[in-house]
Amino acid sequence: MLTPAIIGQILVNGASLSAIYVLIALGFTLLFGIMRVVNFAHGAFAMLGGYALYYLYGSLGLPYVLAVPAAAGIVAAAGLALEVLVFRWFYNRLMPGMIGSLGVNLALVFSAVLIWDVYERSIPPAFVDIVRLGGVLLPLDRLVVTGIAAFVLLLFWLLMTRTRQGLAMRAAAQDVEIAEAQGIDTIRIYRLAFFIAVFMAALAGGLYAQTYSLSPFMGERPLLVAFIVVILGGMGSIPGAALGGIILGFVESILSTLYGAATSSFVSFGAVILLLVLRPWGLLGTPDTMRA
Amino acid sequence: MDAAQPFAAARGVVLPRNWATAAGITAALALAVGWPLLIGNPFFITLGTTIALELIGATSLHLLLRMGHISLAHAAFMGIGGYTAVLLRMRMDVPFPFDLIAGALAPALLALVIGPVILRLSGKYFALVTFMSGEIVRLSLTQWSSLTGGANGIFGVPPLVPGLTSGLQFYYLAVLISAVCIALVARLLTGEIGRVMASIRESERLAACSGIPVVRVKVTVFAIASAMVGMQGVLHAHHLHYIDPSAFTSVQSLNFLVMNIIGGADHLIGAVAGAVFLVILPELLRDYQGLQQILFGIILVIVMAGLPGGLVQLIGLGWRAALDLRRRFAA
Amino acid sequence: MNGTTRRRLLLATGGAVLTAPAIAQSGGELKIGGIGSLSGGGTAWGLALQRGVTLLVDEINAQGGLKVGSRTHRLRFVMLDDQYTAAGGRTAAERLINLEKVHFVIGPIGSPAVLGAISATTPAKVICLHQGFASAILKNDAGAPYNFRIICSTVEFGPAMVDWLHTNLPQVKKVALVAPNDATGQFVVPTLASAYKAKGMGTWTEMFDRGLQEFTPLLTRMMAQGVDLLDLNSNSPGDSVLLVKQARQIGFRGTIWQVGGPAVEEIRVNAGPLAEGFMSWEVFDFTSPAGQAFATAYRARWPGIVNAHAPVWYNAAEMLFEAIRRAGTASDTDQVRAALEGLDGYETKLFGRVAWGGMANYGVRHQLALPFWIAEIKGGEAGIRTMIRPAVP
Repeated sequence: MLTPAIIGQILVNGASLSAIYVLIALGFTLLFGIMRVVNFAHGAFAMLGGYALYYLYGSLGLPYVLAVPAAAGIVAAAGLALEVLVFRWFYNRLMPGMIGSLGVNLALVFSAVLIWDVYERSIPPAFVDIVRLGGVLLPLDRLVVTGIAAFVLLLFWLLMTRTRQGLAMRAAAQDVEIAEAQGIDTIRIYRLAFFIAVFMAALAGGLYAQTYSLSPFMGERPLLVAFIVVILGGMGSIPGAALGGIILGFVESILSTLYGAATSSFVSFGAVILLLVLRPWGLLGTPDTMRA
Repeated sequence: MDAAQPFAAARGVVLPRNWATAAGITAALALAVGWPLLIGNPFFITLGTTIALELIGATSLHLLLRMGHISLAHAAFMGIGGYTAVLLRMRMDVPFPFDLIAGALAPALLALVIGPVILRLSGKYFALVTFMSGEIVRLSLTQWSSLTGGANGIFGVPPLVPGLTSGLQFYYLAVLISAVCIALVARLLTGEIGRVMASIRESERLAACSGIPVVRVKVTVFAIASAMVGMQGVLHAHHLHYIDPSAFTSVQSLNFLVMNIIGGADHLIGAVAGAVFLVILPELLRDYQGLQQILFGIILVIVMAGLPGGLVQLIGLGWRAALDLRRRFAA
Repeated sequence: MNGTTRRRLLLATGGAVLTAPAIAQSGGELKIGGIGSLSGGGTAWGLALQRGVTLLVDEINAQGGLKVGSRTHRLRFVMLDDQYTAAGGRTAAERLINLEKVHFVIGPIGSPAVLGAISATTPAKVICLHQGFASAILKNDAGAPYNFRIICSTVEFGPAMVDWLHTNLPQVKKVALVAPNDATGQFVVPTLASAYKAKGMGTWTEMFDRGLQEFTPLLTRMMAQGVDLLDLNSNSPGDSVLLVKQARQIGFRGTIWQVGGPAVEEIRVNAGPLAEGFMSWEVFDFTSPAGQAFATAYRARWPGIVNAHAPVWYNAAEMLFEAIRRAGTASDTDQVRAALEGLDGYETKLFGRVAWGGMANYGVRHQLALPFWIAEIKGGEAGIRTMIRPAVP
């Protein structure tokens, strides 16, 4: 079974999966890293990003390069309303945050059902060409998603390490009180972090919906993926999210192709459980000693 | 300190152990036993049975919540209990009550095995591990078709007690088992173990320093809660005469959690109120199904943001406000 | 109010006065129950049921109601959600029987929901016209069942389609069966696998956990097996679209068809040129005159793709009402059941002659031998390739 073409296809599929998984996980880990919120509504924001792209690109026909960030921006702006109304009550309160975000998820998903009905829609693909490399077929739209993922990851890393705002966010993540004592307006910084997190969730969601399909329940799987990736890589760690996404993507591609989908599910779930039991802070995270 | 505990200490909704409580409990039991004799409609009896069964799961999860652990695998234990009993009865002719006992023991044994490992984890990690474990159980039940009937389940489950065929009789059986479980939970919470559990929730380290065998207590409570919800699984299978994995997913585990949160996770009454609320509301809102889940979501947010004691706290506040008003007008 | 309206109002009032004696004889409302998935993933099927039956109910009511014996009843269709679970089906059935007091239930759809529902309908002697594929549903109650399956299950249409395939595409030697690991998938796949094997074809099976949308690793694995044909069988329309797209995108050149679904329109619209050559089980011929009339009536009320199961439920309701009419009673379900069982030969509007079968497979003749079609997407258009009347022993 292991012909060079198959191996090539496994690698290509793995890279494509990894790209999407990294994009999905970034927003999730940012929200946890800065505000200690485990956002169960992450998938719902991704889903909203999907619908936004559906209208901007599918219905209105805006150019793709514009539609993708615009869709994410619209959802992030709308998300700010939720930040003021809901999420800011949950910063640094872990359990209420988990359950509260669960409530937000229910409300968002079933509102989407009321508005858009349950049936699955498709967003027209931006690229239909298939590139042939050796014996391996690379659909161009997947290549573009991989490119976008790498680009976003780079931008994100630059934001967190090279800008004042990024520095402020990291300071607030380490210790809110000291950060405030240094003059950082944590409320504004939190708001910015929230905006960026939702922006990335919606961006990932739009691309996910375009690659697969769009429905109100579309966000369930991205949420599960976000959890797994972030647990693997370490909650709150951005390099961790990247590493976790790559690991999950390739492991899934290899196992599913060689041993079947069921094996792949069992192994990834089992690995996550093992990791949670033995090393809950993930591969690149840090054990939180003072905070539970 | 806030991040260390899932829920703050009970908000003054203390259960006074006096005749008022005894009267209240007697009244509730009388109501549970008496109403079917007045309204014989089989639909309501089935609804009542469903409430009695869901109460078992909600109150047993309550035990875990009061200890500071959110388990999202509760429905998985329910499934393990249900399938164990059904398989023993239908494949090996194990008679009642041994199949029911086995249905309680199997999840308890599993809890005893994995408890010491996962109960050492703190809040969010414990929740995630239980979520993943629940998924693995669901996958296993679905994949292992030769044993469990796979996704199509096992139908034709005979009556639990031979001869007990009417819906009304099953209702009373469900009420009996449910009442025993709730009584056990209440007894645990108000007794010595309850105080130990509360101290564990406040601070595990301090509790350990005071000589409390933290892990042992946690595992024991975990096993008891799992045994109870296992029994719910057995009753569920015999009620529907059918068992399939779709009843034991993370959605159901989440339901148990939502019942506790909405009702008020600080007090057992909250779990009871939440269970009743969550079973009855969909029946009342049959015409507005789309709004139900949205409503639940909003209530969850409100409760977590400002009303941690849930419905019970809301009622308490309303009661106090009413008393205030009366005093103001009387003065 | 203009002249035309006034004239119409006068005519209507006059007409009402003249027909007053007839209306005075009318029995009140006749309630019919419906159960289907109205929330969550299975909603498309539940809506097909609701809309198909509603179309007929509204037609009959517009003509004055259903004439049963000497009375005319206005029909009321009460549809409840079963959330696609056994408990949901049971609760919905109990509510319909004990609160709404219905004697007839149309639905549910998935086997777990049907099994839940018939645990309530059978003891209450309520007639249930459902789409549960599990054999046990008809078998277990055999002898005095009140439930009827109003569409062919895979046991009936699967072998018939495989026969057709063997005749028309003899070059197919190995078939891939990819299905979700749910109740329907676990039932359908073994049935189809044995049908393919009976015709001398090799099979390769892969079940995946529902929720998966990235099928390329699975399809890569499939291509390494050297299969000539991919059978989408019990996949949902959404997943079917993805499977077609992704299979073609990684270079699968064999035939893709679906002994199940149907999801022809979804695939045609969403997979575009990649859907070329796709064939499928089709439950209705929308290109026929009757089919076009149905689609027009449907689209006048509801936008979007017409779910192909809606005509099937319309047909079930039509048969039920005819049976009630023939029995002359809407409350004695034993008589209605007898009338329903004796409906062979009755010409329905959409599917032609009624024929019951199933004695050999289930011990009772409660399986409707509904004809089906094989559709094909050619040149971007969906057309009918052939119609098949399966043998239902």
